[in-house]
Parts: sequence; structure tokens; C-alpha cells
Amino acid sequence: MSQTLEDTGHEGLLVDRHVEYVKSLDKKHDEIEYWMTEHLRVSGVYWGAVAVHLLGRSDALDRDGIVDYILGCQNDDGGFGGHVGHDSHILYTMSAVQLLVMYDALDKVDSGKVVGYVVGLQDKATGEISGDSWGEKDTRFAFISLAILSFFDAVGEIDVAGVVRYVERSMNYDGGFGSGPGGESHAAQVFTCLAALAIAGRLDIVDRERLSGWLAERQLRSGGLNGRPQKLEDVCYSWWVLSSLKILGRTHWIDCSRLCGFILGAQDTDGGGIADRPGDVADVYHTCFGIAGLSLAGYGGYPLAEVDPVYCMPVSVIERAGLRKWVDKLPESWKQA
Amino acid sequence: MHGHRRQALREPSVDEKEQNRQRVEKYCTLNTSVMNLRAQSVFTAPALDLTKRLLELNTELHTVWNYRRTILTHLDTWQDPTERQRVLESELDFLFDIIKKNIKSYWMWNHRVWTLNSMPQADWQRELALVARLLELDARNFHGWDYRRFVVSHMDDMDVAEFAFTTEQINRDCANHSAWHNRSKLLPGVLAKSGNVAEMLVTEQSLVLNAIYTDPDDQNAWLYHEWLVSIQTSDEDRLRMLRDKVAAIRELLELEDGDDAGSKRPLIELVDALAAIDKLEAVAEEERRECLDTLHRLKSIDGGHAGRYTDMLQMLGKRWELVK
Repeated sequence: MSQTLEDTGHEGLLVDRHVEYVKSLDKKHDEIEYWMTEHLRVSGVYWGAVAVHLLGRSDALDRDGIVDYILGCQNDDGGFGGHVGHDSHILYTMSAVQLLVMYDALDKVDSGKVVGYVVGLQDKATGEISGDSWGEKDTRFAFISLAILSFFDAVGEIDVAGVVRYVERSMNYDGGFGSGPGGESHAAQVFTCLAALAIAGRLDIVDRERLSGWLAERQLRSGGLNGRPQKLEDVCYSWWVLSSLKILGRTHWIDCSRLCGFILGAQDTDGGGIADRPGDVADVYHTCFGIAGLSLAGYGGYPLAEVDPVYCMPVSVIERAGLRKWVDKLPESWKQA
Repeated sequence: MHGHRRQALREPSVDEKEQNRQRVEKYCTLNTSVMNLRAQSVFTAPALDLTKRLLELNTELHTVWNYRRTILTHLDTWQDPTERQRVLESELDFLFDIIKKNIKSYWMWNHRVWTLNSMPQADWQRELALVARLLELDARNFHGWDYRRFVVSHMDDMDVAEFAFTTEQINRDCANHSAWHNRSKLLPGVLAKSGNVAEMLVTEQSLVLNAIYTDPDDQNAWLYHEWLVSIQTSDEDRLRMLRDKVAAIRELLELEDGDDAGSKRPLIELVDALAAIDKLEAVAEEERRECLDTLHRLKSIDGGHAGRYTDMLQMLGKRWELVK
């Protein structure tokens, strides 16, 4: 290796190497990991696409190939599987729709079928959203249902107040949110709940001060962020925590430049890509959320595209989709600097 | 791929390449067989066995878990309660073996929930003992805690016993936030049943103050205290608790004796407590000044959070009209 890991923090973002890394992912057929992760390939493509879009290289991946592949993952129920021939799940339906939006191909799906799939996952009595027909409930799915419907301008098709009630019941004494009512606060669930409330225009139910204080304490000495108290820092929380602070208007409550240093230190200087923490093996998930974190943190070493903290897609794409209106729906008191 | 260390790059040996090739081939062959059977809607015992072999290699295949459940419900054994009970009991054993290997897989926990819900006679007591064992391996695992709440929700009158379980966990490690969290969900129910609410709240306050003294730097205990204040029934009680908190902080700060790193958290809490008291009954000018001075001090000892302290200075300054 040409540099020590400490040096990489000063080297800056290895843009070309990350683009090459993302492009190489579909060619690793001799590696067991390629096959073992087949069930979430649609999400893998989404993470890679966000990474190259934010790096300003949206043409790095084969657009038509991706669109055809995604369309092939849609099932008769209207939802999408994580790969061709796999069962539908709201997680993969989200990634599929996000990709179609990013590649400006949403008109290629029957919107009524996708909307029908999502609407069918809501429990009419409780407002809760299931991940698939087997009934697992989670606040992640609450956010995803609203996000997917927003792309089709169909949020009004579900009981939004019911979704908000469910999110509210998942709030805890620290101001954070768990996987559902009773669940412990976790930064990734905090993001999904804030993003759901942002789309619903109901961030007023959030205890902004307490939650911002809890999120700010997620930064550790290394500059990296963890997801819960007493847990290790991890590059993916650069996204979950900082997107939450962005929605709350409080990214300045942590030291963003030290966070950038931590993310850059987790780059694989040889093969490209970003790992969960320095010295570990890179993967596309952490590459995506590392770069998105750098964008939110205002990294100055490279002109990254601005990322939308609710949708985890480039702001330019979200504007084109007419969905930046969540910013206008922020509580009035949050809008004053 | 969490926590997987990067090795120095080197070319794999011929043997390693061959081993890897065989591993890929074995996995892909099995995966293709299962997916083909599923596509042909084959719901037989041999197909069920193949799904087990595949899931042992990869627990993340939700489509295969779905297929496995569909097969189970199509087998003749499903119609006979005794047989169904036997089949699902062995399903639980299979799951326990693989959950131990990968406690963080959502799909396995879902499958366990489905299995329990489908059993003619679910043994919730056994599940509770099992999840206690898993939490011994990883006391903060949120899948384990979520599952524990699911199990408890199927049992009668568990609030007091569960509350005692969190006390036990906290006594073992007062930084176990998962236990504190669960306690906060149980406390209202326990209070409602208690004959002496006031006494229970005093005990609760001393438990959390003890956690604060043990590790003043741990934000969680302070948040729990704040919450405890908020659920008091009268402003009088709230004021008393906040004043107790301020006294405790002053004591801690004396112990820290100017150690900046150690006093950061108590200093933030001092400002928060005084600001909270001020909302109930205006605090003296002197204490307001102290809040602002403390925030200035925090900015210098905890520069990483300077933005937060600046915002707090502005907010309190505006409230008290003390700032330029």
C-alpha cells in the first residue's frame, strides 16, 4: 500500500477510484459475495447510482441497462423484488422507484399498480405500514410508503394521519424514534421518522431541541458518528445522523470537518469504495452513505452534488420531480435562523 | 459488510481459487434449484429441506423464507394440530441455531414471530428464557429487545416482572440504555398499579441519580431524569426534582474540580436544568448570568459542538434580553 490510513484523510476524496469501484461491482461474478447479495441487487444499484450522481458522474452507469433491469424486477402485485424473480418488498420497491426517478424513466411503469401495492400495505385500523404481504411492521416502511407515493403525486391515497400517529407512538423520552412503538431510539429509525414527517408536513410533533441534542452526541472522538449511545462509529451514520440534523436545521451542532476526515479515512485507497470504518473492506452501501455524508457535511475538497436529506437523491433530481416542497412545510419556528 | 477487516492485496493461490470456485458453484446450484422449484409452485418436504440448506448458507434471502412458510402451510402436517405443533417446534430449533450465528438478521426474527403465531400451543415462557439468553450474549441488541416485547405482549401481567428485569440489567451495567429505554415504557403501567406512587418516584429518582454519579458523562441517564421530571403530576414536584438535580450537578462539578473534559456534560445539564426551572418560576439574574457564562465556557472546552452552544446562547439571551 502506498499510503498509511492516517494519510488518506489528507489526500481527499478519491473520485475516479470510487467511480471505477462502482462500475466494477457488476463484474465480480467469481466472488461469492456477488451471489450472496443478489437478493438486494436493486438496492445495490441504487446505492451505486447515488454515489456516482453525487460525484457528478451520472453517466458512469449504463442507464438503459439499469432501467430494463429494474422493470424486470416488478411483480404482478405491482411491487418490486430485490432481483428478477424475487418476491416484492417495500424496501426494494423504494430503491426501484428511486432509480427510475434518477434516470428519468418513471413513466415506464404503470403508476396505478405501484401505488396500489403501497396502499395495500397499510393497516386501515392502526395506520401502520407492512413491508410486504407477510405483515412485518417498521417505521422504515412508514417513511418509504410516503416517499414512494410522493413520486407519483399520490400521498393522499393513504391515511397520512394514521402514518403520523404510528410514527408519533414510536417516539421515546430522548426525543428519538425506534423501529415501532416500544422500540429503542436508533439514528437510522430517527432519519426514517423525520423524513416521513417531513413529507407529511408534520415535523411540528418533534421535540426539536431534545432530539438535536441526542443526535449531536453521536459524534465520537474519531469524528465519526454512531447510531446509538455506547456503540462504535460507522460511516453509514454519517448519513442517518447528519440527514436528520439537516432536516432539523442543525448540521452545525457537530464538527463537520472532523466527520469528513473520518469518512475519507475509511476509503480504500487501492480498490476504491468506502468501508464502515478505516481499515475495513469497502462496500457499495458505505460508499453511497459516505459520499452522501460528505455532501451534507459541506466537504470542500471536491464539488459534490447537493443531496436531499429526505430522499437521499441529488437535490437537482428532487427539484425536477417537484418534491422539494417538504422544505416549505417545515414548522415556521424552524425556518427562522 | 460491517466490521470486515481489509487484508493486504495478494494474488490467491491456485488451491484458494479452486476452493472459491467450488463454493460459488455449490451456492449458485442450490440457489437455482430452490428458485426453480418455487417458480414451479412445488410445495413438498424435499423442497422444504432444500430451503433449509440454502438459508443456512444465507439467512438474508427473504424470498426463500417466504417460500419456506408457503411450503409449510401446504404440507399435510399443517392440517393436524399435533403434527403442526411438532413441525413448528423443530422450526424454532432450526431458527435458534442460526439466530445465534447472526443475531442481526431481520428476516429470521420475522420468521420466528410467524412460527410462534402459527403454533397451536406457543410456549411463551420458553421464548422469554431464550431471549434472556440471547441478551446475555449482546445486552444492547435491539432485535432481541423488540422480540422480548413481542413475547411479553402475549403473556399476562408481566409489567412488574419486566420492570424488575430492567432493574437487574441496570444494576449490572447502568449504561445499558436498552434497559433504561424499556423501563421508560413500563414505568407508567407499574405506577398505575402501585399503591404508593410518590415513594416509587423517589426510588426511581435515586436510581437515575446514582447512574448519573457513576458516569456523569453518559447523556442517557440525564435524559431519563428529564423525562422523569416531565411525567410528574405537579409543578411543585417538577421544581423540587430540578432543584435536586442542580444540587447534584454542583456537587459533581466540585468533584471534577475544573477538569474540563469531565465536566462538559454536567455543565450542559446545569444550563438545561436552570432554563427548565426558569420556565416554571423565573430564576434570579445571577443564575441567568451563570447559564450564559457556562455556555461560553462550553464553547471553549467542547469546540466540536460550538454551534449548539451558540444557538442556546441566542435562545436564552433572547428570552432574558441579556445578550447584545
